[in-house]
Amino acid sequence: MRRLPKYDLVSIEDLAIPEIERIFELADMFAENLRDGVPSTRAGGLIMATLFYEPSTRTRLSFESAMNRLGGSVISSADMQASSAAKGESLADTVRVVSAYADLIVVRHPCDGAARVAAEYAPVPVINAGDGSREHPTQTLCDLYILRRKKGDLKGLTVAICGDLKFGRTVHSLIYALARFGANIVAVPYGGMDVPDYVLERLAAERNYKFSTVTIDELKSSFAGGLDALYLTPSAPHQMALFTSENPLEKVPEVRPPAALDAFYVTRLQKERLADKDRAAQGYGHFDVRALRTSRTQEAVVMHPLPRTDELAYELDTDPRAVYFEQAAAGVPVRMALVAWMLESAAREVLRPQAPEPPISFKHEPAPRCAHPTCITRSEGSYLRPRFRLASGSNRSRLALRCGFCERDSRVEYVGHATSHRYYHFDENLSGYVRQWIEEGTLAVFESVKEAEERGYEPYKRGPQREIMNAAEIARACEAIAAQAIADAADPTAIAIVGVVSRGAMLAMRLRDLIEAQTGVRPPCAALDVYGGDPRLRAIDGAETFNVDGRAIVLVDDVINSGWTVQRAMTALWQHGRPAAVKLAVLIDRGYRAVPIRPNYVGRNIPTTRAERVQVRLGIGAETRKNPDRVLLYSMVDSLRERESPT
Amino acid sequence: MTNKPALALDGEAIARCVKRIAHEIAERNDGAGNLALIGIVRRGATLAERLAQALRQDGEREVPVGTLDISSYRDDGKGEPGDPRLLGRNIPFALDGGHVILIDDVLYTGRTVRAALTALADLGRPESIQLAVLVDRGQHEIPIRADYVGKNIAAPTGQRVYVRLAEIDGVDAVVVGGEKS
Repeated sequence: MRRLPKYDLVSIEDLAIPEIERIFELADMFAENLRDGVPSTRAGGLIMATLFYEPSTRTRLSFESAMNRLGGSVISSADMQASSAAKGESLADTVRVVSAYADLIVVRHPCDGAARVAAEYAPVPVINAGDGSREHPTQTLCDLYILRRKKGDLKGLTVAICGDLKFGRTVHSLIYALARFGANIVAVPYGGMDVPDYVLERLAAERNYKFSTVTIDELKSSFAGGLDALYLTPSAPHQMALFTSENPLEKVPEVRPPAALDAFYVTRLQKERLADKDRAAQGYGHFDVRALRTSRTQEAVVMHPLPRTDELAYELDTDPRAVYFEQAAAGVPVRMALVAWMLESAAREVLRPQAPEPPISFKHEPAPRCAHPTCITRSEGSYLRPRFRLASGSNRSRLALRCGFCERDSRVEYVGHATSHRYYHFDENLSGYVRQWIEEGTLAVFESVKEAEERGYEPYKRGPQREIMNAAEIARACEAIAAQAIADAADPTAIAIVGVVSRGAMLAMRLRDLIEAQTGVRPPCAALDVYGGDPRLRAIDGAETFNVDGRAIVLVDDVINSGWTVQRAMTALWQHGRPAAVKLAVLIDRGYRAVPIRPNYVGRNIPTTRAERVQVRLGIGAETRKNPDRVLLYSMVDSLRERESPT
Repeated sequence: MTNKPALALDGEAIARCVKRIAHEIAERNDGAGNLALIGIVRRGATLAERLAQALRQDGEREVPVGTLDISSYRDDGKGEPGDPRLLGRNIPFALDGGHVILIDDVLYTGRTVRAALTALADLGRPESIQLAVLVDRGQHEIPIRADYVGKNIAAPTGQRVYVRLAEIDGVDAVVVGGEKS
């Protein structure tokens, strides 16, 4: 039996330009054959499975039609949300199971990076039919195909892309592809829906490619009265070195006004990704034939990925320059061509150079997590191990990691060296070291100083320290907190204690003992680990489970500063249930709050400067005598200033 | 409870509160770039618009305004189904590195604000989140505190405090007690 090669189309970047050209040749042939009624049997005996976790009509139907037209067959689950996904089956398991039923999987999913996950777990090839707000490569193939058929060579064409440029995944794929082919882009966002920065940064860093953003009025007036308002750069693809000294976005673009616009690409508002739909729709533009009446736009074709809402006038439909229905019709021959090309590649045993840069290895566990909320690693985190590369937007003063799944960048504030167990605030002096640590596999990254210290890292350099609380004072503070918690509780026997790992959890156990001594009832106690991947709530005292629902929780941490840790801890608590009330107890409040959170019980308020750190040291069991409990205040010495000073 | 409704704040008093809070926000965030207002749907969103207007009138600055609907993050089972990260917001600006003023009409248990903090943290990494409310009833069940308060009203448990705003209810008033109209 024939098999398709394990070739996955996750991003339009997976296809080289000659490969795209070959697919277009095949699409031309299939379009002609379809017109003449010539049947094809190229994919005879092969089965395509379409897994759509998000509703779609035209994409799914055009894939299914293409497969049938090639003589293959299709199996489909119309609504994945209602089937196995609703039973809690992971994406990885689903694609592995379906791989036994089909030779090719087409997947659409609401999370960014889902197609990458499917491709990695399925033994059969996977085609991305849209993942979150990321990419939709087969739509891009159709767009490029029509543009090329109408306008010839893509290099040097000027395309105005209008509409929702923020969430439109077809737009992002199209922008990357046009940049690669050497076309010029003018972005015309409607209602403030701009191209996201990560797309711009990536184009600037990886292709040295920039384009200008104008309003629809500016675009119209620039065509009416000269072209001074439009700045375009011819693309000059070249790889920029990492950690270059300047920010690539700040370079002044070369000015070259276009002689004419070749195409308008209009998109609808992605309403399903917005909340206040009516308000956003108010500022949304409307494209009509007037835009085509200037000497510089009269040759332009009008494209739209469909479905349209109100942004494209129906009067245009009869205009020969409106090509959006041809664009939609191209969906079948282009998708036929894609499958046929995969078969051709199988016959020629073409081995694809699939060698992406290896991810950064992190010695500390758990590895950092992706900061992007709709990333697939956030919803399928139980089995996906986050992985990162150095983002191309990184430079001397900015360190960012790019998620290997959703391809979004997360900025890094604190870095650590896993061998020396020192942590640093990232600054430009460190860029050389960080690169070295990545090569050695000794880089650690932290969201906060607190996380770094929880993981056993020490500041790079610390100044003089002094003791601000001794063991007796800490004990008295704990007693006072316990007494207040008992006095406040409607039913002191219903108290449950949750400590933030690790010193908050140690304090929680002390409070538990103190409350038990007073009330005669031992309160249930749990430790909450809020760092890294999924937050974990673990019962202490050998209890199997810890129940959050309906409990009066006393949440305990050692030091409160910005309050972000407590905020994360509360988010994690609510993932486990709905507490009746939460009281916050801290040993030290050092001020500088960044969130509207106030502890109910405070051992001591310590005014500090921002350069100071508070460290709580607690002994366990027999160690208490050797290392007594104490609270230390020390100043951090800024690594930058330290190195600049002559002494 | 059949007590008579009492007017706690009239239209003028509400206007003064909004103006004062706007002043405090401007003062405390003096020189801070990236200030943004996010109102919790619905009356918090209306108040956010009024605060933005007050900041503008003061000649202070133009501040972007967004809205957040936390119904999908609620912990009482009344929320809408669906992925909360994709629902219930209109925030046409980036939160990363910014100073966000979260606005609601009444702070009572703190659960709404707790949900809103979770939602905001999901959307980005603001430098800080500050809370402004027209009425703080006290008796918080969660360790939340407001940075800016229009008026503290200590109403007994079970009694209702209504904020009525002209844009939604046709009249500006804060009413304590009485039957729900």
